[in-house]
Amino acid sequence: MKVERITAGHLPGLRDDEVQWHVLPFERDGLRLEVSVPMLTAAQMQALAQRVRGAADRHLRTMPVAEIIDVIDRAIARLLDRNDPFRREAEAWLPVVSGYDADMLRLGLTGYFKTFRAPQLRRFVAEDFANPAVLDGFQPAPKGGAVRAFGPDLLVHVWAGNVPALSLWSLVCGLLVKAPGIGKLASAEPLFAGWFARLLAEVHPPLADCLAVVWWRGAGGEEVDALYAQADTVLAYGGNDTLAALRQRLPMTARFLPHGHKLGFGLVGAAALDALKAPAVARLAAWDVMRYDQQGCYSPHVFYVERGAPVPPRAFADYLAAELANLQQRFARRPLDLAEGAAVAKWQQAVEWGSDDQVLIGPVDAPWSVAYGDSLQALAPTALYRTITVVGVDRLDEVVPVVAKQRAFLQTAGIAASPEELYRLASLLGAAGVTRISAIGAMSMPEAGWHHDGRFNLIDLVRMTEIEQSAEAAAQPFAPYAD
Amino acid sequence: MDKAASLLADLLAFIAMDGCTDKQFDQLALRLFAYQYENNAPFRSFCQRRGATLRKVKTWSDIPAVPIDAFKAMELRSEPALPTERVFMTSGTTGRAARGRHFHPRLDVYDLSMTRNFARRFMSGAQRLSMGILFPDEQAMPNSSLAHYLALARSEFGAADSRCFLTPEGLDLPGLCAALEQAERTGRAYALLGASFSLVHVMDALREQGRGFRLPAGSRILDTGGYKGQSRELPLEDFYAGLEELLGVPRTHCINMYGMTELSTQFYDDGNAVLPSVKSGPHWIRSRLVEPVTGRSVAPGERGILVHCDLANYNSVTTILTEDVGQWAEGGFLLLGRAEGAVAKGCSLAVEEFVKAAAA
Repeated sequence: MKVERITAGHLPGLRDDEVQWHVLPFERDGLRLEVSVPMLTAAQMQALAQRVRGAADRHLRTMPVAEIIDVIDRAIARLLDRNDPFRREAEAWLPVVSGYDADMLRLGLTGYFKTFRAPQLRRFVAEDFANPAVLDGFQPAPKGGAVRAFGPDLLVHVWAGNVPALSLWSLVCGLLVKAPGIGKLASAEPLFAGWFARLLAEVHPPLADCLAVVWWRGAGGEEVDALYAQADTVLAYGGNDTLAALRQRLPMTARFLPHGHKLGFGLVGAAALDALKAPAVARLAAWDVMRYDQQGCYSPHVFYVERGAPVPPRAFADYLAAELANLQQRFARRPLDLAEGAAVAKWQQAVEWGSDDQVLIGPVDAPWSVAYGDSLQALAPTALYRTITVVGVDRLDEVVPVVAKQRAFLQTAGIAASPEELYRLASLLGAAGVTRISAIGAMSMPEAGWHHDGRFNLIDLVRMTEIEQSAEAAAQPFAPYAD
Repeated sequence: MDKAASLLADLLAFIAMDGCTDKQFDQLALRLFAYQYENNAPFRSFCQRRGATLRKVKTWSDIPAVPIDAFKAMELRSEPALPTERVFMTSGTTGRAARGRHFHPRLDVYDLSMTRNFARRFMSGAQRLSMGILFPDEQAMPNSSLAHYLALARSEFGAADSRCFLTPEGLDLPGLCAALEQAERTGRAYALLGASFSLVHVMDALREQGRGFRLPAGSRILDTGGYKGQSRELPLEDFYAGLEELLGVPRTHCINMYGMTELSTQFYDDGNAVLPSVKSGPHWIRSRLVEPVTGRSVAPGERGILVHCDLANYNSVTTILTEDVGQWAEGGFLLLGRAEGAVAKGCSLAVEEFVKAAAA
């Protein structure tokens, strides 16, 4: 078997031979990839925190946001260039570590990177700050006085490995608010964050020391406590249990921004279910299921489909199954390990042996699976990896109380309905806890500047410093020109 | 004699044989399949969904494997319910999940399967042994297949002074210690049988009191079922080392039984000197290792999910799909734990975590 080795992470101020390395092995199609990830001691972690803070003071905080956007834009342009060495690395190795279909990944990466070009980044900033100049200096406040936004003194990122290059979101957010950052690589995708830090250093060398990318095993030990002790903001992705344990370890004064488990679903209204429109919606729905094999927080688990239209819900489920079969030809599902396969089988069995109005559509051994239920059922997760439930309902409104029961897990809802229906349902769903409503087909492609989990990506990172009117007024008498 | 009765008689005779050929196994497996297909309606519709008909199933490994969760969802039976039937149930945790049910209109097949196999694999030639049982008795747990199994062990193979040391008040440690002391004194071999977690409790209690025993030669221990969250999770190495150290029973005589409520036959190893030990069953049960979604057998050497075809399961279904991971080994299979539901790698929710959260 051919073996390739990659050194991951980014360690400003540390030589490779000064740190301990751990090897994460990946295998695909007769190729073995060994990714070495850096494990730091508590002292090294402390020194690293000091170093990135110092560098950010000198080089990042002194940059106007417009310049930061320019630097990110140039880095993203290189990631979009399929001849660029960084992009080539990403296309070569991300399929190996994630197991995802290479073409699906290539399309996914391009679609994703496109949302980080300069115009989108400006929109991203404008989304949170009416006057983006507050990030560069004091700006007059409408109530009087002046106000300025400061990013965290040290932003710690803890990434998850479900969606490749997921780390780009929080890295960009941190940069836009001028925060020095130390991030922990996900064991399932330990590559992209380090690449991005190095790419940034190539594009704008002074930024080389403002970001560091490390790894630790599981929850980590004293070295991680040393890091958390210095962090004033921690942004983390992962399971709710992991996040709860993480929160316990943070100093009381640290700001914690968790992105936990979510459960996406879609609503298909009768208006979208005529003989012409229904197959098209089903095709888009299949794309949402296929992208990243449903591993995103925004990925759908259940589609609720309204009865009473020319295409009944059961027929919609058949269309969806056919589209998933088609997509399997273009973008094959990644091979499942024994535990993942067992989970899929268990989910299928629950459908097969469950109540009589539930059926499993298609062959059991297909690399996708559609369960159809003819009566309203709870919003519950499927086994992922392209396993989806379609539920027939009399009216979409019936779905609202059902999904409201999972309030803590709600985020994305895809809707196919008329404009009036869209707004009416959006009000009901928003009240139930949904934070993002998208077209079906765009569920797994959030747009630039979206409010992840209903929060402000940038505002949540900053603190505001105000100069009150009183200070301004009180300063007047001390001016050299005072009478 | 009607068809069902003659099938049952043949099955009992089959179990009583000393072994069988592949052909003999197949013949009986197919007769049982036809019988269950005809009389067990939920099983029949499962087979139909899988495209498995009487004509297509040509050998035991063609019989569709019923997932153990089906024992929770459906009444899998070929004979009508009887007031006298015994029902063995899986240990449902916290009452949320339904418990799997296995109906036994009569226990003669189960009992013959158990005793034939137990005599050979645990007793190894001994007629009767003085037994200490670390599990509630059948009166306390009438729906536990393990309670019945242990009651059978005691009545068929236990000496007159055999006793159960797990009372409703808990472990009777003084009583157990007295029995162990007596065995040491008299030099008569002793057998200790029970749930793995009960043996952990015994070891913990003995350590706490600073006590230990050297049971006479020929003594043996049977553990089964793992810890099920009822005791601390002891690595197997420590578990068997502890039994040898505290009770003086060599690891070659510490036998682990692998059984399931959904089966009527048990698997045993030949001691646990080397871990993981190799498990095997008698001639009336056969196993496959499959890839869980496709149900296809895995390549040799690969890990797979265990499927068992147990001919003693004459009333429910012969062939079940477990959630246990196995791997072939010389003389049987290695049991490598349960296929835990995969944990989602990121912020998409996996079923297990959701169920946990919903139960909280």
